[in-house]
Amino acid sequence: MKTDPQTTQVQTSPILTVEDLHVHFQLDQGVVRAVDGISFQVNQGEVAGLIGESGCGKSVTAQAVMRIVPKPGKIVEGRILLYEGEDDAEGVDVAKLPRNSPELRSVRGGDISMIFQEPMTTFSPVHTVGNQIMEAIRGHGEPDKERARKIAVDMLDRVGIPRADERVDAFAFQLSGGMRQRAMIAMALATRPRMLIADEPTTALDVTMQAQILALMKDLQAEFGMAILMITHDLGVIAESCHRVSVMYWGKIVESTTVKELFAKPLHPYTQALLESIPRMEKREGKLKMIRGSVPEPFAKVPGCPFHARCDHAIKGKCDVGAPPELREIQPDHWAACWLYESE
Amino acid sequence: MGRFVTCHYIGTPLNAETTHNLLTVTGLTKEYPARATFFGRKAGVVRAVDDVSFHIDRGESLGLVGESGCGKTTTARCVLRAVEPTAGQILFRDGERDVDVRALDRNALREFRKYMQLIFQDPYSSLNPRMTVLEIIAEPLIVHGVSRGRELKDRVRDLMKQVGLDERYLNRYPHAFSGGQRQRIGIARALALNPALIVADEAVSALDVSMQAQILNLLEELQDEFGLTYLFIAHDLSVVRHFTTRVVVMYAGRVAESAATEELFANPLHPYTAALLASAPRPDPGHQEAHVPLSGEVPDPGNMPGGCPFHPRCPFATDRCKSERPEVREIRPGRQVSCHFAGELEL
Repeated sequence: MKTDPQTTQVQTSPILTVEDLHVHFQLDQGVVRAVDGISFQVNQGEVAGLIGESGCGKSVTAQAVMRIVPKPGKIVEGRILLYEGEDDAEGVDVAKLPRNSPELRSVRGGDISMIFQEPMTTFSPVHTVGNQIMEAIRGHGEPDKERARKIAVDMLDRVGIPRADERVDAFAFQLSGGMRQRAMIAMALATRPRMLIADEPTTALDVTMQAQILALMKDLQAEFGMAILMITHDLGVIAESCHRVSVMYWGKIVESTTVKELFAKPLHPYTQALLESIPRMEKREGKLKMIRGSVPEPFAKVPGCPFHARCDHAIKGKCDVGAPPELREIQPDHWAACWLYESE
Repeated sequence: MGRFVTCHYIGTPLNAETTHNLLTVTGLTKEYPARATFFGRKAGVVRAVDDVSFHIDRGESLGLVGESGCGKTTTARCVLRAVEPTAGQILFRDGERDVDVRALDRNALREFRKYMQLIFQDPYSSLNPRMTVLEIIAEPLIVHGVSRGRELKDRVRDLMKQVGLDERYLNRYPHAFSGGQRQRIGIARALALNPALIVADEAVSALDVSMQAQILNLLEELQDEFGLTYLFIAHDLSVVRHFTTRVVVMYAGRVAESAATEELFANPLHPYTAALLASAPRPDPGHQEAHVPLSGEVPDPGNMPGGCPFHPRCPFATDRCKSERPEVREIRPGRQVSCHFAGELEL
């Protein structure tokens, strides 16, 4: 059952709203503003993509939503609102829930689950896969051991692991890479979360396994009706699996719109440059159009727009000074943070 | 048959003798001994590379493509004799004669290393963190006694300029650089001895997308300027399409298919190649891919299925495929496939 993200009915009420989030890392050399004031929304049942290159802050954003930002990182400002359903107008601010509180533990792994790039680091090497999945299930509403085990086996079977009733007692190292990824998905979904955060879930996989895992995630998403926040650096993954996408650069969101719009009419020069610089499978280019320079250092203090030094359209005196441009709605449901659109 | 005469490739005029078959690999095999384990491995041998043959012409970029366990990296290591092959022949054209790379003794091999160099995948672990940029790039020059003192420093500066690194960074350590810049250092190091052939082992895979274009462009410029030949190992098919002139697709240690790049992408003949091409996600939401993803996983080299190694995953597999291993056949000039039904399938 293959579902096309472009045609799946998507509700427009939010499940998650992130408002002006700031996550800082206080280091000896200074403060790294890993997430520097971002706002976005994920709707019920939607697959929202967060794309950017290394150091842009996309993973830290995901960690902030799950409240697993590693020290010395800290959420210094902003709200992360999780909504029950359509009727919930206020939501719960996940950022304010006390650490280790029962409310937070119920959200983490219960309402929102997360899968990572490297399944080996997700699983404990000394516990069976089944035990870990059961631990998640028993911690989120099904305390009975027998029933929890049954759910675990069903879930392993559902994600395509053959002989699930035997594999449930395997250790993570006994499974191949693709199977481990599936087992991690099983663990994340066993508690029927309303939202799944996937942080580069297929980056470490072979391309044929990647296709399988993405297809599996699409099926499960359609079946469970959950929202997905898909974090990746791969534009192909975004194109194939997401409804909406936000582009991050150096801690900020620079563009946000539907996937169709982004690829058809990218507004931000960074997005445009990115799309122009990737080689395509369809044809052989001449030279690739590259983006000159590189991402600013984490501790650098860049005046103006963080992209200005690499931008072909930068306006001297405007883009290189003062405060960076805000994310604004340039066209219906198409947001960009760029001075080029200021006068419109 | 161990010694050979130093021959400079830079500036050598191109003609039929010097362009064709710079490197010819025939029947390359690499086996590792294996112990039986209760995970199903049979005792005996693991064939990481199994009877692989290909050639690269001078000035060409040959892509070596495949997923984990296909043997592409081991193949490259065998060609460089970083790993000793179990069987097969590796011939390197030196002027008018072919050098038998496997027959080189220790001293001749050391000389020979000037002609084939390697760029690694991981810019973070392939540079010694306790050596400066100068020391890293100069090391091959020092080891081979090529230059010293002032001349050495000038040569390093030249190389840095070639790869787009600021000369001022001569005395910095790797940690001060980004991934892309470190890769440039690695490339400068590979160029130091004026090699004829460079093996680029996933040279851009660990880089950010915006950096990949820079490095790929750099590699192409260097190729034009120095007449370099590349053995380009990659798993990203769009990069392969852009960069290579011919491709060899490997699966489970064997050659599945080889062809000119354009032909391979337009008209794959092996079911695995077709599946590989179809699996890669396209940065294009309008792209409709009607294929069902390939099921199963790449086989464990220690536990290979009988017959064609691809048969458990192949939608076209027949009984013959399960018992009879297909040999690599040349269907047309320049087009090799190892499939019993090559050319007959609707892929």
